[in-house]
Amino acid sequence: MKKIYIQEEYCIGCRLCEIYCQVKHSKSKKIIKAFKSEQGQLMPRVLVEEIGHNSFAIQCRHCVDAPCVDACISGAMKKNISTGVVTCDQDKCVGCWSCIMVCPYGAISKDPGERKIASKCDLCEDEEIPVCVSNCPNEALKFMDMEDK
Amino acid sequence: MEKTDYLIIGNSAAGINAAEAIREQDGRGKVIILTEESYLNYSKPLITYYLAGKIPIEQTGWQQGDFYSRLDIDIRLNTKIVHLDVEQKKAISASGDKFGFQKALIATGGSPIIPAIEVDGGKKLDKKLINRAENIFTLTTLEDARKLKAYIEKNGVEKATILGGGLIGLKAAEAFLELGLRIELIELSDRILSATFDKQASSIVEERIRDLNSNIFTQNTIEKIYMEGNRITKAQLTDGSNIDCQVLVVAVGVAPEVPFVDSGALDTDRGIKVNQFMETSAPEIFAAGDVVQARDILAGEDRNIAIWPLAVMQGKTAGLNMAGSHYAYGGGFFMNSVEILGVSSISMGLTSLEPDDSRKVEVLSQFKPESNYYKKIIIRENKVVGAILVGAIERAGIYAGLIKNGIDVSNIRDNIISENFGLIQLPADYQKHLVVGEGIEV
Ligand SMILES: Cc1cc2nc3c(=O)[nH]c(=O)nc-3n(C[C@H](O)[C@H](O)[C@H](O)COP(=O)(O)OP(=O)(O)OC[C@H]3O[C@@H](n4cnc5c(N)ncnc54)[C@H](O)[C@@H]3O)c2cc1C
Ligand code: SF4
Ligand code: SF4
Repeated sequence: MKKIYIQEEYCIGCRLCEIYCQVKHSKSKKIIKAFKSEQGQLMPRVLVEEIGHNSFAIQCRHCVDAPCVDACISGAMKKNISTGVVTCDQDKCVGCWSCIMVCPYGAISKDPGERKIASKCDLCEDEEIPVCVSNCPNEALKFMDMEDK
Repeated sequence: MEKTDYLIIGNSAAGINAAEAIREQDGRGKVIILTEESYLNYSKPLITYYLAGKIPIEQTGWQQGDFYSRLDIDIRLNTKIVHLDVEQKKAISASGDKFGFQKALIATGGSPIIPAIEVDGGKKLDKKLINRAENIFTLTTLEDARKLKAYIEKNGVEKATILGGGLIGLKAAEAFLELGLRIELIELSDRILSATFDKQASSIVEERIRDLNSNIFTQNTIEKIYMEGNRITKAQLTDGSNIDCQVLVVAVGVAPEVPFVDSGALDTDRGIKVNQFMETSAPEIFAAGDVVQARDILAGEDRNIAIWPLAVMQGKTAGLNMAGSHYAYGGGFFMNSVEILGVSSISMGLTSLEPDDSRKVEVLSQFKPESNYYKKIIIRENKVVGAILVGAIERAGIYAGLIKNGIDVSNIRDNIISENFGLIQLPADYQKHLVVGEGIEV
């Protein structure tokens, strides 16, 4: 499957990926609106970690043997067998945080909206390229098949 | 006698995942799953969410309804196995149906432990009495939750008494408080969730519960109960105090019982003993989930750890091996996530170790009473072996990864307790593995 690969040597910590992710998963899909009126109910699903000049952007790795799927008590967290994408079905999720307890990447957060549900990268399934990747100015994120690397 | 290639006894986390794994390997062999219950499939951990009214009963199902037909699995509800002959390789149900099999999986979970409690009038509390009583419940099946919920609604119950402050007791507490009931929780040890909480973490949650007009009695248990007809009215605790009971939930734990196997037919200890392929001592008989004693990577020995994620992983492992693969179970450790009205907590591993130079145990902790924030990391021989997070649980899984992978954290000790601990502080090799790797072998 195509996955997001991290090229940390090119990441300058500009956090554009976080911004685009947040807008993509907002109601309005508009940057100003998303940041002004939806603020507080939105959180990016990619996280830039940074210390000094060291930085990288991390989002769900869509693990082959995904611990979050094994731990999910409601059947909300599922791996699509044909695409390999791990997503959380928000209608089923009960916010038990079992997935947060086991994801070794710390890639799942509590959704900041009103309902208690988990929030994570869905690889922007309806886009050809996830928005964090397509908007990174430095190619610090790449979307590809491992074979092509 | 009906014959099948694979007979799976138990239709829950372990059994269903085993069936799915079998199908990955073997598209043709006949698979039968049996359950003594009448619900198609439901998630045990969701029964308290249903009890709390957070989800409708249908949503307790965790596999889609077409799961069985899609995978060509024969599911038999209301089929309780009363005898499993491991030598003749056949199982007999309560209604006399016989199932011959090539390979079988015992995935029957645990049954609720009923502690020795005197009932006024000379009897002892047991399963029969609980079944007969109108307002005494165990809480391990959807049917238990359904009855309890119906009783509460019908009788306008305002206060619930819970015996046991472990995982199930706390999940019950969470549900009752959510429903607006007051609770009285009675726990034998000096703190709630003693398996993975320390005094500090426990006291934060205890205080939260007490704020809600509820009470917790630690180092205490119920000695005697008083009944009027089929209703419990009062419980007398070890410390002599008496509490009025509107309902009593007995939640002191589950025990891995296998009453349908002749004693001695399988090696057992605290659960059925299995090897890393989930094979029991009898050929072609596998076991997985709450019913087994399997590898605990922290204890260095096999233990019975009754939690959902491990039942899933053991079930998968068993299924793969039943279908002819050679796949080893990596082991696990106890972990738990509870949220008591807004205060979330995650705890895992060995959290009660005390600092000890000779055993190289270090304990790092941070407590902020004003925000109910508490974090504690336990390190043994330079490796994380336990973690408690209360108030802020984000990224807890990073610690689970460190424990599971046995990563040496001596170089990052100063950061490990920090509030914004993340991958960037991890030891370089492990970080590289996570960040640059594909996200598989963790
Ligand atoms: C209220 C509650 C809350 C919980 N919350 C959590 C949580 O938040 N996180 C967590 O990790 N774990 C939680 N657990 C524990 C978790 O539910 C178990 O670890 C898990 O369900 C174990 O799965 P299993 O497949 O081994 O067995 P079980 O889920 O116990 O299933 C056993 C199956 O075997 C069947 N069976 C038993 N005996 C027979 C027989 N003789 N004949 C035929 N069928 C039989 C049963 O009908 C059932 O289908 C909770 C448990 C309870 C009760
Ligand atoms: S959320 Fe975490 S555990 Fe789940 S697939 Fe993504 S990286 Fe893996
Ligand atoms: S928080 Fe939601 S997705 Fe995560 S384990 Fe719980 S039910 Fe599943």
